Amino acid sequence: MAIRYEEITNEFGQKQVKRFDEDGTIWFIPTDPANSDYQAYLATLAANSAPTA
Amino acid sequence: MSRAQLTSTVEQNTGGAVAPAPAGKNRIINGAMEISQRGTSFTPTTDSTYTLDRWIARLTAASKYSVQQVSNSSTFVGFQNYLAVTSLAATTVNSTDFYTINQYIEWQGWSDAAWGTSSAKPVTLSFWVQSSLTGTFGGSIWSYGSDANYPFTYSIPVANTPTKISITIPGATAGTWNITNGGSVVVNFGLGVGSSFTGPAGAWVYGSYTRGANGAVNVVSTNGATWYITGVQLELGSSSTPFARAAGTFQGELALAQRYYEVSSGNTIFSGNVTSGVTYYTTASFKVTKRTSPSVTFTSQGFTGFASGAPTSYQSGNTEIWCGNAANSTTNGGFFQFTYVASAEL
Repeated sequence: MAIRYEEITNEFGQKQVKRFDEDGTIWFIPTDPANSDYQAYLATLAANSAPTA
Repeated sequence: MSRAQLTSTVEQNTGGAVAPAPAGKNRIINGAMEISQRGTSFTPTTDSTYTLDRWIARLTAASKYSVQQVSNSSTFVGFQNYLAVTSLAATTVNSTDFYTINQYIEWQGWSDAAWGTSSAKPVTLSFWVQSSLTGTFGGSIWSYGSDANYPFTYSIPVANTPTKISITIPGATAGTWNITNGGSVVVNFGLGVGSSFTGPAGAWVYGSYTRGANGAVNVVSTNGATWYITGVQLELGSSSTPFARAAGTFQGELALAQRYYEVSSGNTIFSGNVTSGVTYYTTASFKVTKRTSPSVTFTSQGFTGFASGAPTSYQSGNTEIWCGNAANSTTNGGFFQFTYVASAEL
């Protein structure tokens, strides 16, 4: 099973990304442009929405 | 205290005490491979898997090599630990494949090199290495902005014998090196790099990046091959000086590493009389201010009056996390507790 992401809004009103790793670990990722996990999430989004040839 | 005021004295493999070395001269964190908060043995299955602190495994196919933190002071005399790579297969390295061990250096620790300007200073990369293979090995210095690269080679003439390597690199006068609290320099050791990601050693190339040098040995192509490294140092100047930890001390080195990754040392606890449906909050302060707002995973939880699992919400900053949890029953003596891991790696 590949890494899976889910966008959430927490009780503080912040958007976050939950990342579900293959080993069952759940990471809470802040939507901080300097966070490399968030950068990887954005890259995954971009790759998935890119048109295929 | 200024950098010039901080000094440390270290023993080197050549034996004997050496002159005091300024703490902070080494821009590599955990160059002596002493800190490994994530464990001591890794078989990376996904690209960009962190292993020993600050050392990241890059790869294009899973489980082709393992990484271990080995504690054995007789291998590299003067160093208690080293990073050990073992090839787990005879892997064919295709043109777009790469298998490397990297360290990403934050701009804050590199700004005085003045790279990307006409005043760029030369640097010297030095390290101890040993392999079951012999020949010409390779690596690369490249910009985190992926627009400048300097492939390098080094020779291991005798198998299973420690070799000290020193490589002086002229300053990069172009490229993107200033990314505030982001990456700046990437130090990249090749274990097997395809031709799409290699270049001729010994010269800067701008506008692209490489992960290795042409013609280098591919460690991953020999099943069971080993490659060990420690004492990695990257310093300003054109000559190699004796190894020193980036922070000068083990405790300081741990703190430097915790700017990027931290494992909580104990439980954070909320306790009190709780009412079902009401959310209660607690905070946990990081030991070290993080590079940026970290990703957080909750590694252990306990509870009474709350649902099992992680807190229902949290918010992280550079210095702490705030956690909220909604009680699911009304009880005296309710509590929830957790441990966490915070990652602000590059």
